Amino acid sequence: MIDREARLARLQALGESVLQDLKQETFPVVEIPDRGTGNIVFDENSNQYILGTSRVERTAGNYRHIRSFTQLMWVASYAKSLIENSRTSSLRDLYYSSEAFGVEFSDQAESDRVIADLESLVRLSREEMGIYPEENSSVYGEVTMRYSVPGYEGREVDLTISPDGLPIGPALMSSDPVESNAEIILAVESGGMFSRLIETRSWERFNALLVHLGGQAPRSTRRLLRRIHDSLGLPVYIFTDGDPWGMHIAKVITSGSANSAHISDLTVHDAEWIGVTADDIEDYQLPTEPMTDYDLKRLDELANDVRYRDKPSQSQIRRFKELKLKAEQQAFSRHGMDYVVETYLPDKLE
Amino acid sequence: MSGPESKHLDFSSISPSEFFYRNRQMAGFGNPAQATYSTVRELVENSLDSCEDAGRAPVIAVSLETTASSQVVISVEDNGLGLPYDEVPSAFGQVLYGSKYGLRQKRGTFGLGVTMAVLYGQITTDSPVIIHTQSDNRGWVYRLYIDIENNHPLVEESSERIRSETGTTVTVRIEGDLPRAASRIDDYLRLTSIATPHARLVLRIDDETTLDVGPWTEILPPQPMEAKPHPRSADTELVRRTMAGKQALSLKDYLIGSFQQVGRKTASEFIRFLGLDSKRRVGDLSRTEISRISSVLKSYDSFSRPDGNSLSPIGREAFLKGVQSLYEPEYFSYASRGPLEWDGYPFILEGVIASGAAFPKGEEPTLFRFANRVPLLYDASDDILTKSLKRVSWSRYGIPNGVPWGIFVSFCSTKVPYQAAGKQSIATLDEIESAGLALFRALGRGALKQTKRQKRSKRSQKRMREMKASLRMIARFSADLAEVNTQYADELAANLFRGDEQ
Repeated sequence: MIDREARLARLQALGESVLQDLKQETFPVVEIPDRGTGNIVFDENSNQYILGTSRVERTAGNYRHIRSFTQLMWVASYAKSLIENSRTSSLRDLYYSSEAFGVEFSDQAESDRVIADLESLVRLSREEMGIYPEENSSVYGEVTMRYSVPGYEGREVDLTISPDGLPIGPALMSSDPVESNAEIILAVESGGMFSRLIETRSWERFNALLVHLGGQAPRSTRRLLRRIHDSLGLPVYIFTDGDPWGMHIAKVITSGSANSAHISDLTVHDAEWIGVTADDIEDYQLPTEPMTDYDLKRLDELANDVRYRDKPSQSQIRRFKELKLKAEQQAFSRHGMDYVVETYLPDKLE
Repeated sequence: MSGPESKHLDFSSISPSEFFYRNRQMAGFGNPAQATYSTVRELVENSLDSCEDAGRAPVIAVSLETTASSQVVISVEDNGLGLPYDEVPSAFGQVLYGSKYGLRQKRGTFGLGVTMAVLYGQITTDSPVIIHTQSDNRGWVYRLYIDIENNHPLVEESSERIRSETGTTVTVRIEGDLPRAASRIDDYLRLTSIATPHARLVLRIDDETTLDVGPWTEILPPQPMEAKPHPRSADTELVRRTMAGKQALSLKDYLIGSFQQVGRKTASEFIRFLGLDSKRRVGDLSRTEISRISSVLKSYDSFSRPDGNSLSPIGREAFLKGVQSLYEPEYFSYASRGPLEWDGYPFILEGVIASGAAFPKGEEPTLFRFANRVPLLYDASDDILTKSLKRVSWSRYGIPNGVPWGIFVSFCSTKVPYQAAGKQSIATLDEIESAGLALFRALGRGALKQTKRQKRSKRSQKRMREMKASLRMIARFSADLAEVNTQYADELAANLFRGDEQ
């Protein structure tokens, strides 16, 4: 994350450019990198989605732009006060705060969109501006982090401090890893599996830092994964349900998503999806459900997605298509409560 | 006339007064309420015509007084020319006496209606009509009855009485129903004020002024010119009448002298078409020849259109002014069609469409009809204009769209083709129907244009306000980002709209 002064300088530059236009008695104009699907390209080098070079002009002289222009400038000024005061705000909180300033959003989707506009315009992620989604992603394991948020500067936290795991919020996201007994990071899709792994002390057995993704991983979680992976050099393993949706949770961590194409430093390129694979379903004789048409259609989409062009991904998709069955992480419980810890994970990780 | 006694009546033995009395329903005197309204109407129209003949802006005061019994004393005062004193008895005491013979637009015809009112009053209350008029500098008063059987005025009193200005006051006492007629009369006077926007109309009921409207314009309409009949309006009767006293003229000279739109060339062509000798003297024409001339006059299609100068339309400015003043509409628009022709008579249709709270809500605009500046309050559903209105698909013009609309349509002609003797609805004629449709559509387009324009200007004003407010906010947020003061930002934002203030 770039430092506070540099972040404030970017926002200040935006304000100055608008005032400069006004001073010349012209309507202010900003050029925002185009986040339309036509301008999202898959970058082979970084193996993730990034924005192309196209930009959209937003001018305060155009009646149709004036509303979003005003919203954009408000979000910028709101972000400035968050950074200055070392405060954070959830996306929802920001949406509600707007009213007090006479700025209107018709719904949170609109304010979320304007935040994304600002992110790409000033090249700062919303987290860098103190704006976070409300998420229930958490982490547990033998890693010590040092906070940098005001009031906690320098304080350290052991990520085993709570048996429920520690929620991944703004403070944790911006903290720095200090030391670690963990040797791997194990990210799991469901809360049930996360709890099971904590209860069975499997983090000890596998020397793993456990991360609960809670479905499609929020950006802050992806950023934390990237941070710990980079600074401590821990390999990342991803354990999801055995279906196209689970596969894609893993793929967004390795290759990025279209929605966050304007944000960098979110992917862990060499993270590994361990399962549940189609082969696992057969090998471990897991209870299954037949795939729905919707699931099958999703498999087709994935098969044509550039991020799945590699051979292993293609063969995984093909296997699911042949099998036409899916299984959840919890399916291992058929073989006993601890089967997944005693048998499946050792098979995969050791 | 189907009663047993009428069987034995020799028709020719009934005087016109008696005939009209027997048919009073037809003339609008069927019941006390209707009679009250019709009496006011006839007197007011007479007064308005008289003022217009005098070329002065009419000031008409109607006063209604209730009496102990169910009698109503109706008095109408005008500032017209006044009447030549020796003509008063025949004008009021004899049916079929009137000054309105010439072919030009008039409210009433032949003065029939006023005599009807006098007759009705006399029958129901046994009271005379009182006429106080001034046409020189002094004034004269008459009290008179009608000798119904002999159709002759019976003068009870005739004496000099000073009247301060020229004009006439007519007072009749009738069996009436003021409570039931009052709102009709009020409507009638208001609408009359629309159709005669240069008049001031005052209504007093039992000495209390309940209405005082107009004038909405200072400009008097030009006097309609009197015109000769158009050949297409000629029937045998008219031909015979116009030939009276012209026996010595040649057929050609007779035609040129008696009809409009007939010059030397047209007359020669017409006579050639007839196959007659243009030098034939009128006196030598046989009965069959005369009847043939009249029927060919009606069907010959090379006569030009009848002259529109004998008409007096309300006119755009005056019409709009009246509607605006009385109804305070949100949108309004004027259109007209004509002069056109029906059976040899010229006519003009004009209309104003308006929207506002003063009109009743409905699927289509509420129609207010006028014929020769007279509001038509009854028999709306029989009227060709009502029927045409219903044939227009108003939704195409964004009407009603939740807004109440009214349409004022004024028909004027040298002769109004009424549906019935009550003179309350215009007959179904193709020419009038198609002109009506065209007029309504033009009004619809006008209304649509207006609503669009107003909406557009409202929208653009709203947008401008939003732009200003937003720019100010943008400037302030930017000032916050750039750490400069707010006042400076406000100035910058305001500068952007300099010169847009109008």
